[in-house]
Amino acid sequence: MKIFTIAPEFELHDFDGKLVKLSDFQDNKNLVLVFLRGFL
Amino acid sequence: MCIGPDGPNAFRRYWGVNEIPFIGLPDPKHKVANLYGQEWNIFKLGRVPALLLVDKKGNIRYQHYSDSMADIPENSLVLAMLDKINAEG
Repeated sequence: MKIFTIAPEFELHDFDGKLVKLSDFQDNKNLVLVFLRGFL
Repeated sequence: MCIGPDGPNAFRRYWGVNEIPFIGLPDPKHKVANLYGQEWNIFKLGRVPALLLVDKKGNIRYQHYSDSMADIPENSLVLAMLDKINAEG
């Protein structure tokens, strides 16, 4: 990803099944997206 | 928010035990991880961490794609970047 480009939209369900979209936070909050490490 | 390769039960358990206040998003099919270019490398033992700051307009303002499992930005750096973004209004 390049700086000062638009972050790609995505949607995932949280662990309670609630749908979360990146656009839910637009015009509202700055976000820290952390992609966790894993062995998969 | 955290996006990870584990399933919802693992997230629910970990979030509950550790009382984590921010959003955890299971991505077991790696859809979003691949979309954002998170590296998977068998010689680095799997999915390598990545961190991005996205501002209110949806712009990526900072990115860190780790070189190893231990290569994680310091909290102070991330918080300083957030302070800078927040100061812009």
